[in-house]
Amino acid sequence: MNEAARVPVSSTAVLRRRDEVARDMHVLTLKIESQVLPPLPGQFYQVDCGGGREHLLPRPIGALDAHLDSAGLTLAFLVESVGWGTARLCSLEQGESIGVFGPLGRGFGALPEGRALVVAGGAGFAPLHFLATEMDKNSKEYDLLAGIASKDKFIAGLSTLRGPVEVYSDDGSMGTRGLVCDAAGLWLDKGGFTKVYACGPEPMMAVVAHASEARGIPCEVSLDSRMACGIGACRGCVKAGAGGHNLCVCTEGPVFDSREVLWAEAGRQGEGRDG
Amino acid sequence: MADVDLTTDLAGIELANPVLLASGTAGYGNELAPIIDLPRLGGIILKSVTSEPRRGNPEPRIWETSSGMLNSIGLENVGIDALVDEVLPSLKDIGLPVLASIAGDTVRAFARLGAKLENAGGLAGIEVNVSCPNVERGGIQFGVDPGATKAVVMAVKENCSLPVFVKLSAAVADIARIAEAAGQAGAFGLSLINTVPGLAIDAAKRKPRLGAVTGGLSGPAIKPIALKAVWDCYRATGLPIIGGGGIYDSEDAVEFLLAGAAAVSLGSAIFQEPQRAIELVDGLPDAIRRAGAASARELVGGLRT
Repeated sequence: MNEAARVPVSSTAVLRRRDEVARDMHVLTLKIESQVLPPLPGQFYQVDCGGGREHLLPRPIGALDAHLDSAGLTLAFLVESVGWGTARLCSLEQGESIGVFGPLGRGFGALPEGRALVVAGGAGFAPLHFLATEMDKNSKEYDLLAGIASKDKFIAGLSTLRGPVEVYSDDGSMGTRGLVCDAAGLWLDKGGFTKVYACGPEPMMAVVAHASEARGIPCEVSLDSRMACGIGACRGCVKAGAGGHNLCVCTEGPVFDSREVLWAEAGRQGEGRDG
Repeated sequence: MADVDLTTDLAGIELANPVLLASGTAGYGNELAPIIDLPRLGGIILKSVTSEPRRGNPEPRIWETSSGMLNSIGLENVGIDALVDEVLPSLKDIGLPVLASIAGDTVRAFARLGAKLENAGGLAGIEVNVSCPNVERGGIQFGVDPGATKAVVMAVKENCSLPVFVKLSAAVADIARIAEAAGQAGAFGLSLINTVPGLAIDAAKRKPRLGAVTGGLSGPAIKPIALKAVWDCYRATGLPIIGGGGIYDSEDAVEFLLAGAAAVSLGSAIFQEPQRAIELVDGLPDAIRRAGAASARELVGGLRT
């Protein structure tokens, strides 16, 4: 697709349905009634939560799913209620509309030839679910490891995926007790994986990245950051890059090759984000 | 009803309307060009550049606050050479007046930055940023002191014949004194105001919200501060003023005109929705009529006290 066709646009999106899929986690299904560009897995939108002057900044939210038909674009987001903006989104009623600007950023690269290990932490599950859906459509093989705090954070929607899903919970209330990032290394040691994808809290992604790099397996990570413009103009979202330069999360990412990122454990001056 | 005249004259710089995009929020122009119809605006003030490229401050750099936001970008920028060699040529057909913004950490650096812009081409003017709150050297150190502000403006003027607008901070004891010093040094006009220094804290962690600890506050929260700065400087100097700080809609823009701004700068509000800049221009004729005028110019300084 040419560059001009990938220009993000501002749209009004009407809420078609909202489902609480886990505690404080809602799937918003929205409709944009025009032939706008659909997002690619890993791309995101700047979502105006309707705060007007009081809450100026939109919230960057990765697409969970998208479907374009003659009536327009159906767009789904997974939103975890953690602050004013996300709480507002998680209380939207059917028929209410919000402003969305996108699709933004650079999503995941070309789907892998071999088997992929997909490692999700908490709400980081959203862009990876979109990716896994795409892998299902293209008959790609993968294992998805889903890390959750406890059973009430489990998203039943996981079961719609064709690939096997393994759940890890911090408190042992579901699946295997333990951190999903620690499990990633054990899975990779089983062999047969040619690609790793990770999205979740930064320290979790750092562990998955190191495990992948140590085994020579390429790993793509989707970073989260506080953001203002979403188009590379304000430089508010940058993260330290391994090459001594800044990574602009909104335009060069949010998906990066894990080796491009300077992880907190490697002596960064900033503190790792914990969501 | 007769059309409302939006044309603006910044003491010789003709603008189609008084709405400019504020420095720092609109990047180098190229980022927004595909997204909004830039030629509908009065002008754009590019992100501040320094003598050398800068990486800026540690993250996090952004934090939303009540009716505003804190930022601590720390003047991350491509440097003056890339601006002159790459950015400005790429803006040749951007279709609206462009102002560059420069930030030095010494008077000599400001002089050199001015010299490099003298023959750069494509610029309607320069904003001289003596008020960035997020750098250790230079920045607001100049803008809090009338003598230092004067020295910077004179250094730029000696090396560059483009119209100079001095960007000031309202976080000073008496902004009118600084503005007068800028005027005495030959500033063409003023750009008011830069972000207001601020701090946000995560109490549970006992940590600052920003990587650089403190930042600059922008957004609707600072509008009354900005309006007063414009009003004070307008009365003290009569210089053309680009006024901004918390502008969200066309009603806000009219308030700045009334306080004495000849043009306005829109910043953080475009983060919520980039098209807000166009909506603001579209809403201006009605907002100007509601204030009882038929042109933007006749409102300038028209506050009744």
